[in-house]
Amino acid sequence: MNGSNLPPETAGRTERAAQWLYTGLWRVLVDWFRVPQQPPTLPVRTADHLESFKPAFAFLRYLKLWFWIVCLLIDIGLTVGYLAAAIALFVAGFWWIALLLLPIALAIIIVPDIFAFIAVHLRYDTTWYVMTDRSLRIRRGIWTIHETTITFENVQNIKVQQGPVQRAFGISNLIIETAGAGGGGDSSKQGPNVANRGIIEGIADADRLRDLILPRLRQSRTAGLGDEDEEAPRGAAWTPDHLAVLREIRAELATMSG
Amino acid sequence: MDGPHPDQRFDPASITRPDPALLTYYTITALLTLVGFPFVFLPLYFKYHTLKYAFDDKGVSMSWGILFHRQIYLTYRRIQDIHVSRNFIQRWFGLASVAVQTASGSSGAEMSIEGIRNPEALRDYLYSQMRGAKDGAEDADADAPGAGDEALALLKEIRDALHRLAPQHDREEGAS
Repeated sequence: MNGSNLPPETAGRTERAAQWLYTGLWRVLVDWFRVPQQPPTLPVRTADHLESFKPAFAFLRYLKLWFWIVCLLIDIGLTVGYLAAAIALFVAGFWWIALLLLPIALAIIIVPDIFAFIAVHLRYDTTWYVMTDRSLRIRRGIWTIHETTITFENVQNIKVQQGPVQRAFGISNLIIETAGAGGGGDSSKQGPNVANRGIIEGIADADRLRDLILPRLRQSRTAGLGDEDEEAPRGAAWTPDHLAVLREIRAELATMSG
Repeated sequence: MDGPHPDQRFDPASITRPDPALLTYYTITALLTLVGFPFVFLPLYFKYHTLKYAFDDKGVSMSWGILFHRQIYLTYRRIQDIHVSRNFIQRWFGLASVAVQTASGSSGAEMSIEGIRNPEALRDYLYSQMRGAKDGAEDADADAPGAGDEALALLKEIRDALHRLAPQHDREEGAS
């Protein structure tokens, strides 16, 4: 997964150096911070098929767009602040303090951007989704790795959300909710790791996944609330064999009484 | 999370106490609060020493606390979703926090199982006990034919008994 998000044709010298650094960073994360390198798995039964996937590549570009917008706004603010301070110092006659502050100001402006840029890549590379015929597992996070497991039998509803910017990138979020309050309130105000909810972020084929999951909800005969007696109605059902024997009994009784 | 395959002989009933590494983890998290150490550490210390788990074949209970005693019981069938989270300190100790959600209205996890040495195996066990993890139709196929056959056999016995009765009845009718 390391650096796999870079298209090969753009891998110039700078990109290769960045990739090499990024691979090194991954090694540190894997060795020292025990970040798992393999995608998560789910217990699978023999007939099930398992699908492991990541957010679409457009999701990384979408995250980077927000990264550039936020960085630009913050950096413009910081630059204006530094220039104002520098001009004030020049006017006051302490021009050498303004010069001394220049590298510090540059560091404050640039260094957090580099970390944020790496964090965007790491966020994309550590997000994994696994789906089987019965359940779904979502993994995300670097500092705190969070894994959510939901069986489709418990799912109450499925939402597909897409904002205008996401539409421009052709991605959307698929939100899978189980019963329970899940903290209440607006889902957009909460983090992705809330209770009773699984969020599949930034995928290009949300409709396909929804169409995969929906039939499994329709198959379910229960309310998805841990119903204990769900097998009882099936046990009590009359099969054609039973009906045939019952008709014979009726016929016997009819001959006896007649 | 991508460790060795979970132990097939994983027995949740054997878990009654958290792993000793949990106390170390609690100590480190308390130390990270610097000045707050005594206030954060003492409740955690008592929580670790009173924390008890009991897994049976239907559900799991956990209890802790001295002054304020808390006990939670939930059945596996009512689990809605399982969240396993581990920060990098927990990863160093091989620990994880296995949070179990039911459909109740509370926003936090109903039960957060901490200090388990083999969290993946525990999660796989809980998952296997969840609804939907097993094929419902398969269960029905296993159960229904047995129950159906018994009902069918009973009905056939009744029919045969009636059948044996019927000629007799006819004979009695004919004799009288």
